[in-house]
Amino acid sequence: MVPEYDLAAGMPDTAVSVSDFVDLLNETYEFAFPSIVVSGELANLRVSKNKWLYFDLKDDGASVKFFGTVYQLPGPLEDGMLLNVRGTPHMHEAYGFSVNVQTIQAAGEGSIRRAAELLQIKLEAEGLFAADRKRRLPYPPERIGLITSGQSAAYADFIKILAARWAGLNVAHIDVQVQGEIAPLQIVEAIETFNTMAEPPEVLVLIRGGGIPEDLAAFSTESVTRAVASSRVPTLVAIGHEIDVSLAELAADVRASTPSNAAELLVPDKATVLSDVAQTAERMYTVLVDRIEDERSDLNTVSQSLQQAVSRQFDHTRRHLEQYSELLMTLSPEAALRRGYSVLRTAKRKQITDEAGLPKVGDDIIIQHHLAELAATVTNVEQRRHP
Amino acid sequence: MKKQQPYNELVAELQQLVRKLESGEADIDESIKLYEQGTQIVQQLEQRLQEAENRITSLQATMEQAEAE
Repeated sequence: MVPEYDLAAGMPDTAVSVSDFVDLLNETYEFAFPSIVVSGELANLRVSKNKWLYFDLKDDGASVKFFGTVYQLPGPLEDGMLLNVRGTPHMHEAYGFSVNVQTIQAAGEGSIRRAAELLQIKLEAEGLFAADRKRRLPYPPERIGLITSGQSAAYADFIKILAARWAGLNVAHIDVQVQGEIAPLQIVEAIETFNTMAEPPEVLVLIRGGGIPEDLAAFSTESVTRAVASSRVPTLVAIGHEIDVSLAELAADVRASTPSNAAELLVPDKATVLSDVAQTAERMYTVLVDRIEDERSDLNTVSQSLQQAVSRQFDHTRRHLEQYSELLMTLSPEAALRRGYSVLRTAKRKQITDEAGLPKVGDDIIIQHHLAELAATVTNVEQRRHP
Repeated sequence: MKKQQPYNELVAELQQLVRKLESGEADIDESIKLYEQGTQIVQQLEQRLQEAENRITSLQATMEQAEAE
């Protein structure tokens, strides 16, 4: 319990206990420095029980102790690095004075680069950047989770290029700070939010435009890099200009060189696709026309063979008929007459045959010759003996 | 609102249809039907790409909500 002292009214004259003094001091610290950023060179970095973090920040004139947890580390650090550490001064009842850490950031280009190098070595060893972890992005995705600052040129470029290239997309945007102390936390939260949605987007897009290394540092922190690597939703990350490579980009499934390039990689170009679709439609038409043409030609062939078969049958029948007709001709009595034979008929034009009986002397008969019919009278009948 | 068939599904359907048409498996009646279906899909794709607009919604990360509470 902190004793009731009215600080504004000045210090009391009476003595206070050690415990009360510590409490009073801490109350004063919290009041005076709820949060302060101290910049200095890292020294005596030590981790205890894999959890507690002890280090000093120093400059030419002074050195101050800091206390925190490993979860506040932006990544591996080493003595000599320049850091910006946010925290609250605190007097521990047993261990004395230290600053309780809230956030730690590398400061200055050299330290930022070195911190990123150390982290890269560590995460690389864990396999976070391995090529076989990379997943394919759905192409084109319909639902996109976008994480960037809504005020940024990166956001505007991305949305503009996306609209020019493709249509009907659902873009859900979480507005985050893309630089500064709070940025890594917000970015990690945004990635987590998208991942835990009932219907998560098909791809996460994390983008930021160019800037000085200090501005891009959030994308090379351990927390952001790990969040990108462990995202269940496939990730596309584009930070800064082409030459800037952040660790988040290395951990991403796909890296784009710029925010505009991210939009280009994400979806095909409408114009190209429309022309492909038109070509497909034309091919389809050609196939159908060819198909109809084939059917017609098949039909012609069948129809021709049908006609041929019928006409063959006709010819055959006609030839038969001619043969019969010739046969008939040879069998006809006319033919015999033409050969010189004659037919005898009675006056009543009945043919004189064996059955009908021979005419008698004096009977009138008709002799039928092929040139004429002659009327005659029988003058003599002489029976022929049959052989 | 009826859910739109995803673009990729439409394209896959069109490709399958064209393949079947090209293979000559289908008889002439079916071929004509396939062609009609194909042209409908083509129209849908063109319409979708030319008329549809991208929808952009703003979400809040859970952290921001938590802070606001």
